[in-house]
Amino acid sequence: MTKLKHLVFVLPLVLAACGGGNDGNGPRDAGGTPGIDAGGGTPDAACFTDPKTYKEIINACTDSVQVFKDSHPPLLNPDGTVPKLPGT
Amino acid sequence: MKRLSLLIALASAVALPRAARADDCDKLHEDDPQHPAPIVYMQVGDTQVNLMKRLGRAMRDNGHPVRMVFITDPSCTNINTIYGQTSTTIPKGQTLQYLPSKLEDPAWDAGNPMHSATLTCSAPAAIVPHVANSALFNSACPAPPATPGGLTVVPVQGPTQAYVLAVPTAAVPNAITFEEAYFVFGFGMQGMIAPWVDEKQLFIRKPTTSTLLAWAANLGIPAGKFLGVQEPGSPDVTAAVQSGTQASIGILGAEVYDGNRTTLKALAYRAKGQYAAYYPDSSFAARDKKNVRDGHYTVWSPTVWMYTKDASGAPTDPDAKYIVDLITGSPLDAGMPAPTGFSVIADAIAPVGLVPTCAMQVNRDFEGGELRRFTPPTSCTCTYEKATIPNKPSACAACDANTPCATGVCREGLCEAR
Repeated sequence: MTKLKHLVFVLPLVLAACGGGNDGNGPRDAGGTPGIDAGGGTPDAACFTDPKTYKEIINACTDSVQVFKDSHPPLLNPDGTVPKLPGT
Repeated sequence: MKRLSLLIALASAVALPRAARADDCDKLHEDDPQHPAPIVYMQVGDTQVNLMKRLGRAMRDNGHPVRMVFITDPSCTNINTIYGQTSTTIPKGQTLQYLPSKLEDPAWDAGNPMHSATLTCSAPAAIVPHVANSALFNSACPAPPATPGGLTVVPVQGPTQAYVLAVPTAAVPNAITFEEAYFVFGFGMQGMIAPWVDEKQLFIRKPTTSTLLAWAANLGIPAGKFLGVQEPGSPDVTAAVQSGTQASIGILGAEVYDGNRTTLKALAYRAKGQYAAYYPDSSFAARDKKNVRDGHYTVWSPTVWMYTKDASGAPTDPDAKYIVDLITGSPLDAGMPAPTGFSVIADAIAPVGLVPTCAMQVNRDFEGGELRRFTPPTSCTCTYEKATIPNKPSACAACDANTPCATGVCREGLCEAR
């Protein structure tokens, strides 16, 4: 079953399956070294239990450490894409 | 801090290649007349040195001994060399590296930084290497020249090599996103991604190297426009980041990073369209390359190992093919024995941070290309995880001649899925 599970419906299941964190809300690191980025956190909104496409594969459910980073590069386009390189 | 620097310098010094008694590579057998192993000349990327050490040592004392004599050069150079059958990279007198046999140096140990230096010898003449290696899809390099003399180059996909962005251990960030890395290496200071706003603290490689080409492809930056200080080799990038400011960042093969974890920190990486950032391993401290194997960590390339065959289809040098077969997990030719008392996967590939194809669950078709699911025809996940997660109870059943597997195939004492 490849199904995107929305946080609002199955929060506990998603957080458990995705290894969402120590308290179900943030990243954790089994190694005890860096695992939580200073940049802030974005909750793991969804993961895929049976990934098939590229986007599903990179967002598949996992028990690996996840590092969430709230990043807003100043030069990012309004639609979230990156601009062309200078001189291109 | 001074003490740490001294230790690093000392460890680096003793790990450097040292001269053997014989200067001429062709006369090395005089050092060890009991093991007159044939020589296979190899030209590999410098991310593969740790693999060369472990496998090279084992092959010296193998049932079918082979002396792997090698030089390191950028991947694209290596591809051109074997396709063009040129000897310009190994002229007469060129210094090459090899490993001592147990007789020559019983205490030598690839895992001991104080006693793991390679030995050196000189090329007796200009040499075309028997084996070449690239640590990325060959298609990422300019098209190589035609191969002369009726020879055909055989490229075989080998273990997977992850690439990391490494920073000093004291640096604050633990992760970097695709967008941030694009601005750092594509825009430099103008990108305004703190703390990486000093282009003199961005340490990169030349555009012929797999490390740079892999990152360039994954970030969508043309190799020639990748900003930073071009260092000649991975050890130079390592040293530059180690001695750099907290705003320094360098591109490295994970194999190189894994050997320098006490002084460097790999950043977790969030690919475009990904919800979280991931380390190559399941955690910062792990060495299991779980996220490479299952597709959560996207910056990786296959290593490609190349040998030649003649017009009849026979390998030009059977020992060269033997080495390639062992590294890539290909079936061995008749008369070429599997090593005894040595597992290429568990003792050579896994410990140096590479992932054998048989343990991968994803693959891609070109450098930086989208990942797709992959099921290797022969699996080795049990062997790989046993080697890289030593304290975790294996989920794989043990097996031997008297204890067959209930399901799967018995391989290296474990029941593999296929």
